Amino acid sequence: MSKSRFSGMVLFGLVVTLSLMMLPALSEARDIKVGIVDTYSGPPAVYGNDALNGFKLALEEINKQGVLGGKIEFTTRDEKFKVDVALAMAKELVMRENVDLLVGTINSGASLAISDGVAKAEKVPFIVWTAKDEKITGELGHRYVFSTAENTAMAGKAGGVGLAKKPYKKYWIAGDDYAYGHAIADAAWRNLKALKPDVEKIGESWWKIGEPDLVPYLTSISAAKPDAVIFCTGGASMTNCLKALKATGFAAKIPSWIHTAIDHAVLKPLGAEAPEGVTGTIQYLFYYPETPENKAFVQAFEKAYGNPPGFPAFNAYITAQLIAEAYKKAGKIDKEKFIDAIEGLKVKGPTGSMVEMRACDHQAVYPMYFGTTKKHPQQDFVIATDILTLSGNEVMPTCDEVMKTRKK
Amino acid sequence: MAFDLSAIGSQFLVGLSRSMILFIVTAGLSFVLGVLRVPNVAHGSLYMIGAFSAFSITKLVPGPAGFWLALVMAPLVVAAVSFIAERALFCHLYQREHLMLLLFTFALSLILGDLVKLTWGAEYKSIMAPKLFDGSVHIFGASIPRYNFFLLIIGPLVAVGLWLFTNKTRLGKIARAAAVDREMVGAVGINVSWVFAFAFVLGCFMAGLGGALMAPTISITLGMDHNIIIEGFLIVTIGGLGNMWGAMVGSLIFGLSQAFGVLFWPQFAIVFPYTAVVIVLLLRPTGILKSVW
Repeated sequence: MSKSRFSGMVLFGLVVTLSLMMLPALSEARDIKVGIVDTYSGPPAVYGNDALNGFKLALEEINKQGVLGGKIEFTTRDEKFKVDVALAMAKELVMRENVDLLVGTINSGASLAISDGVAKAEKVPFIVWTAKDEKITGELGHRYVFSTAENTAMAGKAGGVGLAKKPYKKYWIAGDDYAYGHAIADAAWRNLKALKPDVEKIGESWWKIGEPDLVPYLTSISAAKPDAVIFCTGGASMTNCLKALKATGFAAKIPSWIHTAIDHAVLKPLGAEAPEGVTGTIQYLFYYPETPENKAFVQAFEKAYGNPPGFPAFNAYITAQLIAEAYKKAGKIDKEKFIDAIEGLKVKGPTGSMVEMRACDHQAVYPMYFGTTKKHPQQDFVIATDILTLSGNEVMPTCDEVMKTRKK
Repeated sequence: MAFDLSAIGSQFLVGLSRSMILFIVTAGLSFVLGVLRVPNVAHGSLYMIGAFSAFSITKLVPGPAGFWLALVMAPLVVAAVSFIAERALFCHLYQREHLMLLLFTFALSLILGDLVKLTWGAEYKSIMAPKLFDGSVHIFGASIPRYNFFLLIIGPLVAVGLWLFTNKTRLGKIARAAAVDREMVGAVGINVSWVFAFAFVLGCFMAGLGGALMAPTISITLGMDHNIIIEGFLIVTIGGLGNMWGAMVGSLIFGLSQAFGVLFWPQFAIVFPYTAVVIVLLLRPTGILKSVW
């Protein structure tokens, strides 16, 4: 083989290799791949499925026009509410499925693990859409993690702001004895105390998570005669708590605030058995505000899935909107450019009000609703009434406050 | 903090009513332990099936009638499930060692848990007690929700019924005899296999009854099986394995220590029943009443 012929072959090989390497960049637009890790089995599956439905509904609209000439497609993994499973699945989605970004989950522990072990380590954007731990975008936040879920700091602040408008002085705090319960309690009390310094905490009680019988707790609290009670509970315990509030007559005697007590997913199964007069906070209600946008969203959702959307569907819907708009703004499918684009991005959420992805801490900002339970005049279930809208800025910890926690 | 007598009285009654549910479930567990020597981890699953069945029955038959029907039918559904499990699986395994049975029943509890999920879905369920139970009952200044008062009456009724059955009926006596010496019972010409099947189904019926009775006061959800079974085994252990009155004593200790813990030291209420268990086991390692093992 002559020397020139050999170098010609090398050159040819080089050109072929290079052009193959260039192919993705040169080729026509491709689809954006979203990897979803969430709980699709066990009791939290209710929320996982609601979120997925919201996401799918948003994508139907978005994919009609497409994003950067392609579509947004997704693949799901069931983390079974287990931190180690979630972490392994997130890694698998990034390493083997080559997803462009990760989305999920309802489990705070899993979200923090993915945030640290995959998003930060592999430099892949990760948007948390249901988990409520304020550490996700607070103390443990970083460039690659985002949250479209409301978190315990926001919930607690919303509770504090709402309760400060009420005349109560002597408070009792009670709740599930785990991270979520204590985080809500701390945030609510801190904010309430700051806004209204003369409030007094006369006692606390904490029950183990999933405690079926809360009647002994309620009878002992009512014996202490507080003006109002802050209950910090969620999931199955929330239903237990509401049932016990009604059965003991507690709700009729002593006012109480429970974050998400006005969630339709909580109140609907209870039917007429849900207590009236319990105050709660939430970021989404399918019957309020009665804007044309919200009505259209609820109608489309009900038509597709047979039931009205809950707050996870709302969170997931705005997640899809933010993803689509950020890629359009970035102009190409690139992880770093995506992050630059989504920071400070504003979209018009399904209720018609604006949602902003705050640049400083990567936390979505939207209003919260503070309302009191009352029986629906026609239907056989309880809904929120006397709804007070707390603006996004009112319920969000400031950027300075968040950055302070990160420096510690 | 000062407490008036009525608060203490209410707390006592509420603790008692909780004890009654625990008793109904653990009496069944203890019975199966005593007669069959099976530590049935799946007992909690049957309790859960009882609650879910009660939910379905109240959906089929609305109104108060549905509730009362559920109280009768849900335990029967559980009894049917347990009968199938006994004839198909358990009856071949009685001679195995306890560790093996423990593993087997644990596996069964996982399978039943998944079957419940397939049948009823993952959503929380809730059923209502009839209007009759709205409001509270006042006794000597203490007040207690009516439904809890109803449980206070049901508990002793079940206890007496079970006692009459095991002590006054032929079948009950045979079951007790089989608990003490199964070979001897077989030797006098009694079909021990069917006695065991009956004892197992009766024990599981109690789990279903407990689940159905508990259903109106809680959210019916996956995972309620594991909650109750841990407490159940602790109660059976401190009361004396296989002893029905032991289950009663254990349930009272557990329910009342929890209720008073909540009243006097609410931040640390969770530890009270478990502390009570530790103290009992330190003083009487075999349980308070005579164990049949």
